[in-house]
Amino acid sequence: MEFENIKRGRVWRFGDDIDTDQIYPGKYLPLTDKTEMAKHAMEGTDRGEEFLKNVKTGDIIVAGKNFGCGSSREHAAIAIKGAGVSLVIAESFARIFHRNCVNTALLTFELKEAKEINDGDIIEVNIDTGEVKNLTQNKVYKAEPVSELEKKIINAGGLLNYLKST
Amino acid sequence: MTIIEKIFTRACGKPVRPDMYVWAGLDLVAMRDFGGPNVVQEFKDNFGDAPVFDNRKVAITFDLHIPPRDEKVARNQQILRMFAKEKGIRLFDVNTGVGQHILMENGLVRPWDIVIGTDSHMNLLGAIGAAGFGMGTTDIAGALYKGKLWFKVPHTIKIVINGILKYPVTAKDVILYILKNLTTSGALNRAIEFTGEAVKMMNLSERITLTSMVTEMSGDIGFIEPDETVFEFLRSHKVENIEPISADEDAEYEKVYEFDITSLRPQIACPHSPDNVVDVSEVAGRKIDQVFIGSCTNGRFEDLKIAARILEGKKVNDNVRLIIVPSTMEVAQMAEEAGLYKIFLKSGAVVVNPGCSLCTTGHPGILAPGEVMVSTSNRNFIGKLGKGAEVYLASPATAAASAVRGVITSPMEFWS
Repeated sequence: MEFENIKRGRVWRFGDDIDTDQIYPGKYLPLTDKTEMAKHAMEGTDRGEEFLKNVKTGDIIVAGKNFGCGSSREHAAIAIKGAGVSLVIAESFARIFHRNCVNTALLTFELKEAKEINDGDIIEVNIDTGEVKNLTQNKVYKAEPVSELEKKIINAGGLLNYLKST
Repeated sequence: MTIIEKIFTRACGKPVRPDMYVWAGLDLVAMRDFGGPNVVQEFKDNFGDAPVFDNRKVAITFDLHIPPRDEKVARNQQILRMFAKEKGIRLFDVNTGVGQHILMENGLVRPWDIVIGTDSHMNLLGAIGAAGFGMGTTDIAGALYKGKLWFKVPHTIKIVINGILKYPVTAKDVILYILKNLTTSGALNRAIEFTGEAVKMMNLSERITLTSMVTEMSGDIGFIEPDETVFEFLRSHKVENIEPISADEDAEYEKVYEFDITSLRPQIACPHSPDNVVDVSEVAGRKIDQVFIGSCTNGRFEDLKIAARILEGKKVNDNVRLIIVPSTMEVAQMAEEAGLYKIFLKSGAVVVNPGCSLCTTGHPGILAPGEVMVSTSNRNFIGKLGKGAEVYLASPATAAASAVRGVITSPMEFWS
């Protein structure tokens, strides 16, 4: 499955240090079904209910520093992807969360200016160049493009599929 | 190049720079009684009966709930024993101790190695010049199958520690002081190299204390250039062909911090964050219920010796439980031979078998609501050791002094 190289979507803004317990509360750790997991994405944040009620396929999460800090639970990345979110932009990511995103085939971008993007903005992200266009604010930013290595893993559907195929 | 850049350059066979994504071969893949059973499940779901990539490069350590506290844990350990037998993997059972320490003591980790494991403090292996990384289930399962994983090469921060450490001020006080300055996100996704005269004079136990708490700064790995102190430990633990590793003269560091510890006083991290650090004197007198001396950060022989020096000939306060846990069986034997057990037992301490012990709930010694503990471990997050409890992080010296007085106490009062 090749992904389209341009992703356009509505922005859901979150703050700094959103930990994995906010992304996916610990009480749902026993769940194993990905569709069920998706029903709890971002549930522990202060706008969890609003997000879950209104999130649509193709929406984009934009967050501040250290997104995904805390525990190493992979459910967090799986739930976000399952909720239909096409990619996550943050000022920075916690290491293990970033690994889990790549390993479970969810696209991430680090963008220094992430905080200039507002909730509800419509943005367009070029996967190959890392160009982020804010169509609402008429601004353009440059994020690090997704590396070739990440692309291969994500295209394969995650780390284990990739390793099986190589 | 910095140490981490050199390690990845060798492991992937081409020069690397920070922020590059690379595949690197692994020298050791470890899992433990926590996380390990999930790895086995994921491995079987994805790779069926396939062998592991190289059974000499895989190890299983039991350190969290040892011996098992309930049937579920017993079952998890059974799953790992069966997997180990099936794949011919070396397993260190309930009579061994803290995983990373066990790997070092068994000669399974050398400078230059890349080691991964299901433990957030794998990075303490930087104390001997190896790159240790804590990883999740999918990473470890994939690594068991292929023996390689992808990495994003981190930038390196250099921390220079000048001055001379004067007991009872210890490496723990130094790292807490650094945490206070850098905060819990101060080394996010970064490698750290600790250097300076104070570091060069540290023994391996102190170096482990320093590097283990890079996790609490959100760092990837903390290195100390291995020298004779480390080589001697490795040689005495059957490691041959030791290759030194050091950063190049012209290595590029993202940031350099300098600290002078000459006048440093004992430090303590107050609830509920490892960077909420003050001088012990600022919270001295606070009543406590329990003291824990041990963990992957402060469970080595030298740590226990410092505690024993304060506890010798004294009694633990009537209102306090003191729990002491050597990090490994080797440490326990050294402590026994040096007469430390006698001192601990006479003082009224509970001495537990080697392992992780009071790092998380689910272990004997958990606190009741409202109780306060001084711990030599590395994390004091809210609820981690019992709902409504408060944990202060300090050195073995501060912990022992506090156990005797029944209140938070500076070890300066006990030192002559």
